[in-house]
Amino acid sequence: MKEKILLSKRGKEFIVAKRILAMLLALLMVTALFAGCGSGTSEKAANDSGKAKGESKSDTPNAPVTIKFIQNSANGGREDVLKSMIDNFQTKYPNITVDYEIIAYSDYYTKLNTMLSAGSEAPDVFEVGYENFAQYASKGLLKDITDIVANDKDFKTENMKKLAYDAYNYNGKQMGICTDFTGCIMYYNKDLFDSKGLEYPNENWTWENELEAALKLTDESKGIWGTVSPLQVYEFYKTIAQNGGSIWGADGKTVTVNSKECVEALQWMLDKSYKYKVQPPFTSDIYTQPDADWRAFEEGRIAMLRNGTWQFGEFEKNAKCNWDIILEPGNTQKAHHFFSNGLVMYKGSKKDEAAWTFMKYMAIDPFVVNTRIEANWNIPVLNDDDVMKAYYEKTPPEHKKVATALLDSLVLPPLGPIPEKWAELQQVLGDELEKAKYGKVTAQEALDAAKEKIEKLFE
Amino acid sequence: MIQNSKERAKRILLHAIFILLSAVFIFPFLWMFMGAFKDDVEVIKMPPTLLPSKFNFDNFRTISELFPVSRFLLNSIFVSFTSTFLQLLFCAMAAYVFAKIKFSGKEILFTLFLITMMVPKQLTMITLYRIFVNLNLQNTYLGLILPSTYNALGIFLMRQHIRTIPDSLSEVATVDGASHFKIFFKIILPLCKPALATVGILGFMESWNSFLWPLIITSSTELATLPLGLSKLQGRWTTAWNLLMAGNVISTVPILLVYLFAQKYFIKSLAQSGIKG
Repeated sequence: MKEKILLSKRGKEFIVAKRILAMLLALLMVTALFAGCGSGTSEKAANDSGKAKGESKSDTPNAPVTIKFIQNSANGGREDVLKSMIDNFQTKYPNITVDYEIIAYSDYYTKLNTMLSAGSEAPDVFEVGYENFAQYASKGLLKDITDIVANDKDFKTENMKKLAYDAYNYNGKQMGICTDFTGCIMYYNKDLFDSKGLEYPNENWTWENELEAALKLTDESKGIWGTVSPLQVYEFYKTIAQNGGSIWGADGKTVTVNSKECVEALQWMLDKSYKYKVQPPFTSDIYTQPDADWRAFEEGRIAMLRNGTWQFGEFEKNAKCNWDIILEPGNTQKAHHFFSNGLVMYKGSKKDEAAWTFMKYMAIDPFVVNTRIEANWNIPVLNDDDVMKAYYEKTPPEHKKVATALLDSLVLPPLGPIPEKWAELQQVLGDELEKAKYGKVTAQEALDAAKEKIEKLFE
Repeated sequence: MIQNSKERAKRILLHAIFILLSAVFIFPFLWMFMGAFKDDVEVIKMPPTLLPSKFNFDNFRTISELFPVSRFLLNSIFVSFTSTFLQLLFCAMAAYVFAKIKFSGKEILFTLFLITMMVPKQLTMITLYRIFVNLNLQNTYLGLILPSTYNALGIFLMRQHIRTIPDSLSEVATVDGASHFKIFFKIILPLCKPALATVGILGFMESWNSFLWPLIITSSTELATLPLGLSKLQGRWTTAWNLLMAGNVISTVPILLVYLFAQKYFIKSLAQSGIKG
């Protein structure tokens, strides 16, 4: 007691400092205590997988193993469908537990990249679209599954649609498997065609046929448009292919985005609005408001619409007109683009067998395929007409087969020699297309400028 | 009312401008609020209608069927309140030290703190994530709360405020034998209410709306906060805008309440003064 009163001010502060230090240490220890706490089901599984990872690669087929899986395509409405697929998988393979997470598409790659950066948190299997697949493959983040596929007696590559399956091949090595896709085709309003006594579009149609019909069908006084197609990068690279053009030359390195064929194609896209007036001006609500184009189609105000296969369910429910689909008319050839989802394996995963079993299941297992078809959730890539019969028989639209037929004239996203710069390429090309869209530059000027900017990306 | 007509005209004009500006600023909120009660066709109709044709709570019902919205709300409330409370505590303590206690290297240390404000969150995100993974704090409440407990701007604001408190107050207390802790809690803190309210509102809003960090650090739905939960309403190709608006209303109402409450407190303490005479 006596010592305390005799302490100088500095001495008092020293005691206070010690007390603070003690409290901080206590806080630290409490933190460490809490480290295990927190209610997260995936955390528990993460601990389990931590233990499983400690074991050497398990060759015993029945050793319990947990694989970590993340994806995004189920977000916003399909969570329960995915759950039923995974539950069925775990019933079929009771020794494999799938610890999965669904993330919104807009944030998916941010989270994926963060998890990959921390190594221990990286998922064993994750979903990628084709464009991102090439980037991850080029960065060496994916496992080469060529051997695993070859050794799997239950899996035959002929079971899958060739172009879609090959899309996930990088430099001759199979690095992933395509599980499903959506694509863009042309919807047409049967009632409008009937009202003018016109024949429906068929698969031999070219741009000329489309223009002819659109001229007869457009009726501005009633607010009816003959044809509507968006103008953006994806539509662009598909349309130039329909005219025999492409962004990259035959050597795969020269930029040919301003070739005669490409300029003609862009001019065609613009002319429909500006010259022939069979398409709404790009400043109109149909183009600028979200969802306005397909809603207008539902209301019967558009005769021909290029849009995605994901609208089947929506149109079936809400379209006020009779409609069907057809392959897009090309000019010199047909071309379609698609949005594919595939599953890949992380390079550092130690659960190859289990991961591949899961990946294969999600692509070709009959339960998965049928569930997809029933839920109208994207299109399986199976090359088996018997199994796909259920898909084709689910109408509308009547010509459902068109949806898979588009895979035969597929043009992949033009990643070129710089797949890691796909986002930048889209940006520069998109900027120039915007300028042309609003009439600020001509088609030739826009594509010349795009060529320059794309070439700059090489540096 | 002795103003001449020129003064009156000026006042009317000013009022008109302000009313117009307020209308422009408030319209998006009104539109969002009304959109929560519309169905999915009406919500994006152009030109926009203000009042829904059928006022119903269907959207709110749908959301709560799809997701554990009450869980998201509770998580958001818990995380935001806890981190704001801790943030106020730590910022105020640090500010007191920087404002009132003299030690060598104080200015340098403070400058270093300020410099951290210039580093964007995206830059430190991955490293922070790896640290937390190493501490095994991924997918935990602690992992959600801890990064929001420090805020250089909060320290700066509070320091500025504490500096205005005269030294005579704390010196008197020191002579009476009070420790720094006593001075801080009994004298300084009660005088800081306006600054605390400001830092509190800022911190609460940041924590409430925080999306990137909860996205990265959590992986199970049970820990998701409201912004994270709302992102689950957005599909890749289509978005149910009416549902999203309903979610946004759920997300905005608590923050509005907090702001209104703190604002009253804020104004009340401005009227008080620290030292009399």
